[in-house]
Amino acid sequence: MAEMEETDFNDILDDWFIESLKTYKDLHVYQLEHPTQVIEWTSGRTVCVAGYSSSKNEILELHLPLKLFADENKGLCAERDFKVVHGGFAEGPVCCLRHVPGTRCVVTNDGLSSDLQVWTVGGDDSDVIRRTGSVKGRRSVSEGGSRIAAPLSSQLLHGARSSDVQLTQLTSGQILYTLETDSADPLSSLQFVSDTVFLAGCCNGNVYIADTRTSAAPQLSPGPAAWGGSVLWWTDASAGRVIRLSSSGQAVVSDLRDLGEAVSWAQLDVQSHRCNPDDVRVSWAPALDNCIAVSGFSGAVQIYKTSVWGTERQDVQPLFEHRGHAVSSQSDDDVFVTAHVWHPERPRTLLSAASDGSVHVWDWVDQSEL
Amino acid sequence: MPEIKVTPLGAGQDVGRSCILVSIGGKNIMLDCGMHMGYNDDRRFPDFSYITQNGRLTEFLDCVIISHFHLDHCGALPFMSEMVGYDGPIYMTHPTKAICPILLEDFRKITVDKKGETNFFTSQMIKDCMKKVVPLNLHQTVQVDDELEIKAYYAGHVLGAAMVQIKVGSESVVYTGDYNMTPDRHLGAAWIDKCRPDILISESTYATTIRDSKRCRERDFLKKVHESIERGGKVLIPVFALGRAQELCILLETFWERMNLKAPIYFSTGLTEKANHYYKLFITWTNQKIRKTFVQRNMFEFKHIKAFDRSYADNPGPMVVFATPGMLHAGQSLQIFKKWAGNEKNMVIMPGYCVQGTIGHKILNGQRKLEMEGRSTLDVKLQVEYMSFSAHADAKGIMQLIRMAEPRNMLLVHGEAVKMEFLKGKIEQEFNCHMPANGETATVTTNPSVPVDISLNLLKREMALGGPLPDPKKPRTMHGTLIMKENLVSSEQALKELGLNEHQLRFTCRVQLQDPHSDPDTLNRIYTHLKSVLKGYTIQHLPDGTVMVESIVIKVSSSAEDTSTKVLLLSWSYQVKHFYFYNGLVLTPSLRFFKVVKGRF
Repeated sequence: MAEMEETDFNDILDDWFIESLKTYKDLHVYQLEHPTQVIEWTSGRTVCVAGYSSSKNEILELHLPLKLFADENKGLCAERDFKVVHGGFAEGPVCCLRHVPGTRCVVTNDGLSSDLQVWTVGGDDSDVIRRTGSVKGRRSVSEGGSRIAAPLSSQLLHGARSSDVQLTQLTSGQILYTLETDSADPLSSLQFVSDTVFLAGCCNGNVYIADTRTSAAPQLSPGPAAWGGSVLWWTDASAGRVIRLSSSGQAVVSDLRDLGEAVSWAQLDVQSHRCNPDDVRVSWAPALDNCIAVSGFSGAVQIYKTSVWGTERQDVQPLFEHRGHAVSSQSDDDVFVTAHVWHPERPRTLLSAASDGSVHVWDWVDQSEL
Repeated sequence: MPEIKVTPLGAGQDVGRSCILVSIGGKNIMLDCGMHMGYNDDRRFPDFSYITQNGRLTEFLDCVIISHFHLDHCGALPFMSEMVGYDGPIYMTHPTKAICPILLEDFRKITVDKKGETNFFTSQMIKDCMKKVVPLNLHQTVQVDDELEIKAYYAGHVLGAAMVQIKVGSESVVYTGDYNMTPDRHLGAAWIDKCRPDILISESTYATTIRDSKRCRERDFLKKVHESIERGGKVLIPVFALGRAQELCILLETFWERMNLKAPIYFSTGLTEKANHYYKLFITWTNQKIRKTFVQRNMFEFKHIKAFDRSYADNPGPMVVFATPGMLHAGQSLQIFKKWAGNEKNMVIMPGYCVQGTIGHKILNGQRKLEMEGRSTLDVKLQVEYMSFSAHADAKGIMQLIRMAEPRNMLLVHGEAVKMEFLKGKIEQEFNCHMPANGETATVTTNPSVPVDISLNLLKREMALGGPLPDPKKPRTMHGTLIMKENLVSSEQALKELGLNEHQLRFTCRVQLQDPHSDPDTLNRIYTHLKSVLKGYTIQHLPDGTVMVESIVIKVSSSAEDTSTKVLLLSWSYQVKHFYFYNGLVLTPSLRFFKVVKGRF
């Protein structure tokens, strides 16, 4: 970088940091050795991240900085760093990573086949994340990776397409349930909305709702009429609401019990032409009403408040935009946010990761509430 | 086998203090001599009994090297040199030499005067210790003696911090001390060339940490100061005279300018002189980019920062004050603290570690009621903030440094090997990795090349033999006799010099053959046959009735009882043991050779 450019870069970065004094409560900026496409909570204070290069990759379990949790004596805690508590090696890329609740197991998929790898994260006496098993996909054809959802301990719901979703008992490998659908739509999401009811979101916008206890046919809700030709869709469900987001930036909110009807629509302020399908994430805030986070279209993470959306499709502005990754990236290529997660309890705390290996932990200030 | 031994000295605990012993090429070096700040008894000192059970250390150590001025790296130095006893050289960079004694004296005062300790070094001891110091410049090779040389590299981290390369012959060790790989406003990143040391020694904590950026720490500092000022509070920042004060002043100045803030910022007068001294040290030590920052600054002519007068402490309204000393243990910073502690709108920001026994240490541990002199109590109502600005490497940084230096072996101290299998495995993908516990020695075998001088005659003789010239990828073997006095000579000269007679070993063997021809004819046939199969070798049929293959002699005679039973007599000297491969057959003058011959007959 020429000297002048470097000064400019530093000035822009300084500006953003000074602005951040008002716009964030907490802000932490980290640099991993290799970028991650996954951030998954393994406890209230630890997350797993993993590389996605084509050869060998690391899976790391990181402990969040103590300062973030020191609510009463925050001032006395100077500890701002991540600690690498466990690590392991994966032979290929890690595109999907899920923690199995109530266990020390995580399950991964490499995005190339529908098979899953099972790992055990060590305890206090060892820093190793060890491969301890595998789960075969229903149809082991390399046509894109599997989505994984883990409801109760030791059960896994997984599949790459709507026609090969199955619920597997982790310990025995026994298949407890299979989803029967007419078409084999590639999946963009798989999640449980109750102990036994799950939602399979397809890339073409179709959403299947099924119950693993019954063999009844799943409910199919076709994708919303798309504007702008063929688009890809992502889905997230929480507290009875479902949001569907398209690669053209269109967002639809529906009630889980009535997916066919749209409660509200909006055209989000995203750079839809630059959307990176592997990176797009949309998620409801677990501890805030009617808030979603959207990433994967650029180097920013956007927070939208859906309660202000109407039934007429209109352009909306984000309530908050985290531009930290784009601003602090020193790479020549445009940086993309590859993943984000909300903290399960702290209302406005998120973690986000980008293609340049950066990971940020941020607690934003809702300016509209000031 | 030649080996390098590394022992981190300890007294039972892991992190907290650095003191590492290295044995290399017959030399013993001590790397750092830190104090463990968490202990009040002898456990704070390194356990020197490993070197010798009693008595002085001088004859056991060739030199001591100190990486930087932090107490966990140099705090036990006067104890080691003056109370245990060491009179050899102590190497450190110029800034470290300037700053060390100041920190040590401060530390001594607190420990002795405040805490009333007795078994501690005195001011005179610090002075005597510093007299043994030999200062180092960056990238300059220093000969400690005929065989041992050391070189300092820029480490970042703090002013004067160095990584050190220790070399004896072709064996070397690099010790990183504390370093950082991300440059910031004031410090560059550590740098080392591809020196390929046999061992690179570093801290395991770096490899298991992923550090929050410097900017985020600075942001937190600005945020806290700003919040206090906005509510009309006063902010006290106790600083050690040299170092942190500069950095934070520049930060505040820039911020005040940008935000157009009006609240006054002061720094106490004691700071100015020391700060200028520091500035001069810094300027010669640091790199071009940072030099420019300071030159623009025009050192301590800040627009928004003014000299403090103690009466200002009573002025109403918000203000920020930088005052010494850094741990609130005495002087101006403590006076100001006493005035401001009772108001919850105020704040004290501690930018660094505080030694046990100081007020700084107490309030950082959450104490809200302090006992002051004259039995009065002080209620601590102001906000206490602890911030760490130290620049350290992390998991990404350590890999960057390792790849820069390309060591043959990696050695991580202050970690528990049993719990660090992943980390070890990760490094071992590219380099060997060792993790000794405190008091435990890691031994690394090396494969050093030993340079010898060769006599001209021997060299000429070798060259006359022809063949390919030796090159680094394909060394060529030659024979000679090494007199470990001067040089490599020819055997004849060695024998002559040593007054020995040369002896030749000659081997003989007999082989029986059935051949009806006469002795000379049999010999002739053998000669013809060998000439056809052993092309490229010198084969002679001599008039004295022998055949010679190179230097192997062959004679034929008949058995007395039966003239068609021939006996071949072979003889060769010891040198002809190694012979040539020919069509997969080893033509050593042994039975094998005769398998060939027999087969034909």
